[in-house]
Amino acid sequence: MTATVHTSVPAGATPPAPARAPRRRRTISLGEKTIPYLLLAPAVVVMLVLLGWPAVQVIGISFRKLDLGELVRGELVWVGFDNYTEVLSDPEFWTITLRTVLFTASIVAATVLVGMLLALLMRHLSGPVRVALQVTLVLAWATPIVAATTMFQWIFDQQYGILNKTLVKLGFDSFQGFSWFSSGVSTLTVIGILIVWQAVPFVCFTIYAGLLQAPKELYEAAAMDGTSAWQSFTTVSWPAIRPLVTLATFLSVIWDFKVFAQVWAIRQGGPDGESTTLPLLMYLRGIAGRHFGVASAVAVLMILVLVVLTARYLQLLLRTREGDIS
Amino acid sequence: MKRLTKLVAGAAAIALATAGCAGSGGNSSEESSGGERTLTVWLMNGSAPETLTDALNKEFEGANEGVTVKYEVQEWGGIQDKLTTALASQNPPDVIELGNTQAPSFAADGVLTDLSGDVSDLNGDQWLSSLKDSGEWDGKQYATPFYAANRVVLYRTDMFQQAGIAAPPTSRAEWLDAITKLKAKFGSDPQFQPLYLPGQNWYSLLSFIYDEGGDIAEKDGTEFKATVNSPEAKAGLEFYKQLVDASGTTAPKDNDEQNPEQAGIYGQGKVAMMIALPWELGTAAKDNPDIEKNSSAFAIPSKTAGKTAPVFQGGSNLAIPVNSKNPDLAKSYLKLLMSDKYQGQLAEAGMVPGASTDLSALDATPVSKAMAEASQSGKAAPATPKWATVEAGQNPLKDMMTAYLTGAKDLDTATNDANSALDAAFTG
Repeated sequence: MTATVHTSVPAGATPPAPARAPRRRRTISLGEKTIPYLLLAPAVVVMLVLLGWPAVQVIGISFRKLDLGELVRGELVWVGFDNYTEVLSDPEFWTITLRTVLFTASIVAATVLVGMLLALLMRHLSGPVRVALQVTLVLAWATPIVAATTMFQWIFDQQYGILNKTLVKLGFDSFQGFSWFSSGVSTLTVIGILIVWQAVPFVCFTIYAGLLQAPKELYEAAAMDGTSAWQSFTTVSWPAIRPLVTLATFLSVIWDFKVFAQVWAIRQGGPDGESTTLPLLMYLRGIAGRHFGVASAVAVLMILVLVVLTARYLQLLLRTREGDIS
Repeated sequence: MKRLTKLVAGAAAIALATAGCAGSGGNSSEESSGGERTLTVWLMNGSAPETLTDALNKEFEGANEGVTVKYEVQEWGGIQDKLTTALASQNPPDVIELGNTQAPSFAADGVLTDLSGDVSDLNGDQWLSSLKDSGEWDGKQYATPFYAANRVVLYRTDMFQQAGIAAPPTSRAEWLDAITKLKAKFGSDPQFQPLYLPGQNWYSLLSFIYDEGGDIAEKDGTEFKATVNSPEAKAGLEFYKQLVDASGTTAPKDNDEQNPEQAGIYGQGKVAMMIALPWELGTAAKDNPDIEKNSSAFAIPSKTAGKTAPVFQGGSNLAIPVNSKNPDLAKSYLKLLMSDKYQGQLAEAGMVPGASTDLSALDATPVSKAMAEASQSGKAAPATPKWATVEAGQNPLKDMMTAYLTGAKDLDTATNDANSALDAAFTG
């Protein structure tokens, strides 16, 4: 039913026609409906082909016996859960998993902490000094991984390394010929420093971008109110960067969990297998041992561990409607 | 008009993406129409010299119309991975060189062509027996011998002269004595090392173990059992430590002879001896051409005076992948390579030929003469398929040596741990 609109019309003047929103019925053509999907399609297709299909294959292979012979001859041998029982019943597997989780946790914590501190520092630097810091960070980030690993091996070399030389010159004579790779823990520490050095730039720039969002007036207001540095951090900076810190932590956990090149290149998981992590185990079973079925089982188990570690963040990601994740 | 532009843009984007994805898959197989065939040959760095391979490839191409030889030299580092991926691909190489410690593994996986029927064609009666064994599996011959080499002790003749050492050592006692004399003469230079011996040179360790009468594993039917904790193996390891301690070498105890490359360090001129393969002298000479005329070699001395220690016989086999596209061409290539002409050239280049019993060419230089002398008592690594995994992954022998040399473990613990690790590898 039509609604009657009573508009009071002043006597005398010709009233303007009451404004009515033009009700234009938009017919969305088929072309317009499909455009978004067409534009998304290339990215989705590439992801499905390059990421989705291999992932499905890995899960499939973990239920097969696939050694070099079967691979070359193209045979399909289904063995059910045999590969999983073989991996899970190996006592080394649990040690290696624990070591990987602890290693990942420590480098992620170090990366995020150092990145955050550097970002806060960058906020306070001016002009050329800030640019210099940013350039050095980008250079560290851009160094190819194997080149950086080789450099670190030279720096930490027992006999000819610059670190031992410098420490001895500073007066610490016990470092003459000191081996930084004599135990698993010290080897992993050196590898950790290498990874953190190359991971910090990304985290730093991400958090710095977030810090730029916090308006300078809030800092001035806080200063006028007499808050301490720590309080102005928690009340002004932290809300601005919290979603980015969460994001950076999440990404770092994924990237650092699957780190292989640095750990293998430094000491191949030694000494005595004490710096072997899950990705190395996968390599040893797969490429070195040529038992690709077992290696795929290790890969699937790695994904499960990773899902458990990042469960909370995945939950947030899947539940949130707006882009703001915190 | 705007709608049409958007539609066209979307369609073009998809077309480009799918074309990009599809384009890489089309050009994999070689066209064999018109008789144009390519034979892909992979040989390893430091094996056959360039003069040999150039002549061989030229002769083969001349003898076979329309065939080009695609010859590639591969590095030893990471070769197992490279071979694994190459063999599983659509276009594997046609002729591959496999280290004799890796060959049993590939043979057992069933990825090599069975050559049992062609052995006589390939100069079979002159094959070196240790290399023949590594190419054999389950009664069938899957790989031919190529060449063998064993380690000798390279030494600086000028330094020996200056230190007053009259003749190269012929027993362990004389060897230790030579080290002492060298240290006395040159020890004032902090960079001088009488013997450069890194901690993980397990090939040399094997020599000492063999000399004691032991081995790292013994064959038990078709299975292998590790014997690293036997008294003979322990004695060999103890002598290794004795050498390292006596010479005071600054080589890393937790790395092998390629990290850093020992030939490069020898080339710097501050090292009097190193246990190396003969071709490493050539590598050293690249940086320092003078070093070649000041160097010679002696066979690794035995503990008994006058005898030489048995050596670890390294070497290579040649094989044809089972899914090669040109097996017939590959076989004729191998036939040419196994002929006396090229095997003779191998000997001239300073290697023990795998398919020729004529070692006279090796007497040319003192270095290769020492090697030929020692090759008479050569032993190979356990011919089990599992050995390749040990070499490609984590080698318990290397861990054991580092642990014992750095003092992290005592002799019994180190050898027992290595023993269990090797046993696990043999059964795994």
